[in-house]
Amino acid sequence: MKRPVIVTAGVPTILLVIGLVAAAQAQRGANPLRTPAAAAVSAYNGPRTPDGKPDLNGIWQVLGTAHWNLEAHSAIEGVPAGLSLVEGGAIPYQPWALAKRNENFQNRLTADPLRKCYLPGVPRATYLPFPFEITQMPKHIGIAYEFAHATRTIFLDGTPHLEDLDFWMGDARGRWDGDTLVVDTVSLGDQTWFDQAGNFHSDALRVVERFAAIDASHINYEVTLEDSKVFTRPWKISMIVYRRLEKNLELLDYECAEHVYQKLLKKPGSGN
Amino acid sequence: MRLRLLLFAFAIGLLTSRAAAQQGGTVAPQGGRGAAPAAPATYPPYTRPVSAFVPPRTPDGQPDISGLYVAIPLPRNVETPLVPLANRAPNRANSEFSYSLNERPKLPEGAMARPAGVDPADGTIPLTPEALAKRKEIIANQEKVEYLDGRVLCLAPGIPRSTIPAPVVGYQIFQKPGYVVIFYEQSHLYRTIPLDGRPALDPNIRKAMGVSRGHWEGNVLVVEVTNFTTNFDNNWVIGAISATPGVPAESLATGHGIPHSDRYRVTERYTPIDASTIHYEAKISDEKVFTQPWTVAWYAFARAPKDYVPVEYACFEGNEKNLMLMTNTDISGIRVSVP
Repeated sequence: MKRPVIVTAGVPTILLVIGLVAAAQAQRGANPLRTPAAAAVSAYNGPRTPDGKPDLNGIWQVLGTAHWNLEAHSAIEGVPAGLSLVEGGAIPYQPWALAKRNENFQNRLTADPLRKCYLPGVPRATYLPFPFEITQMPKHIGIAYEFAHATRTIFLDGTPHLEDLDFWMGDARGRWDGDTLVVDTVSLGDQTWFDQAGNFHSDALRVVERFAAIDASHINYEVTLEDSKVFTRPWKISMIVYRRLEKNLELLDYECAEHVYQKLLKKPGSGN
Repeated sequence: MRLRLLLFAFAIGLLTSRAAAQQGGTVAPQGGRGAAPAAPATYPPYTRPVSAFVPPRTPDGQPDISGLYVAIPLPRNVETPLVPLANRAPNRANSEFSYSLNERPKLPEGAMARPAGVDPADGTIPLTPEALAKRKEIIANQEKVEYLDGRVLCLAPGIPRSTIPAPVVGYQIFQKPGYVVIFYEQSHLYRTIPLDGRPALDPNIRKAMGVSRGHWEGNVLVVEVTNFTTNFDNNWVIGAISATPGVPAESLATGHGIPHSDRYRVTERYTPIDASTIHYEAKISDEKVFTQPWTVAWYAFARAPKDYVPVEYACFEGNEKNLMLMTNTDISGIRVSVP
């Protein structure tokens, strides 16, 4: 995390103090689990669960182009143009990793793990063009994804991370920071991508998601991605998660593995 | 590390399963249910358990059965509910690979495997002659990928098969206002069960785990499950993990090879017996496959030990080599379109 430049010349002391606090907070931000106390202040006035947390129960979905490419891009065949979701614009790759990403992009139609129906990983699962359903309890939050019936159980009860295991969907532990659900996910392995453009990570990836409820139907979703093997520094993406408000909506199936077998067996609907 | 052991254990189990399925297929008596061996005396007529246990309530007033559970193994002297004792191999534990080759899950102290109940009591599945013929064809062709057990392909095993003890047997029950949600550790399956009396979905919409509609009858969760997918003949919704040599083709233990039709439906009953035990009953009907509805029931869920943490079981992601080994099928080059 880059330390903010603090200009002190000619600035009243009170502003200097604020600047120092901001710098300290920015430093703490480098460890995303220790969040500035200021984040606890929330304008959220939507419904709450019996234990007083913003009620995130329901079906949600991200709109936009993140699942094609997290960075700014013009349209190409089948892919709409999109603004960058990355704070600062570009993902801070190490030079070798940027070359690898570019190679991934060239090979994306065969190399994207999603095209083999592998689990999407985190945070990609959040912004796939499929709905997901949150079930919120005081000690556990379950997220069920329509894509490939992926799931995550987020432990909020202090259960420590497991060791020596890799999970496609990672090992998630959460806590509430005021009205923001903070989820710390590790053990994600090195097999998943962030998008269809080949943006990738290593097994050193740590993902910290902040689900900040704005109102009953919107969540500000901010993710810090840290992977010292691939990036020069931690980086952030952010987007809005929208509540799906259709009456009687429920998750349906996108059984991706079935599509593989349909293709293999040349069943109807497989495109063969 | 433990996960890798678990995956290895599952692969072994699947191979065992396949060999046993083939063996079971070749030695199974021919003919309909009338030709099955005599019922063992150990099957009393099934009577639903009456539970006096009153669970605590959730904030919205549902009986609270939420939490982490592990499967209670089916009774070892039964193998699976519908296997006549006379036909099972001696001393063969159910799911031996899941309970001996890895350390988890541990059954909590006090949890016990209790007799399963079946109806009809002769312990056979009332297959139509056509379904029995189809089943024999399927079991005889397990080396071909188009016949292979869908669970080996990592397809969703449906209902009630997802509740029959398998190598990965943790469950997590969530409850939120108006819903019960079940996560299965096996292949990260899940079901969302609305309790608001809404109708089933349009029959054109099919789901691998079916479409669930639930309600509470006192402290019993009753779930109607319909709209199961019929994409493949591999979608077998019953059957234990491994077939048992020598059991008749109609029995649940060979379990395999009964593709359901578009009419398949299940009524599940989850009965809390005490603070740590849930009894499970599944009444199964499909007039295109069975000559009559039939029921299987057992004590299925035990509350997990305190330190229990479910782990991801990513079945499909690790299955390429398994399929090559078992059916000489290479899926590694297949790519599908995704939105």
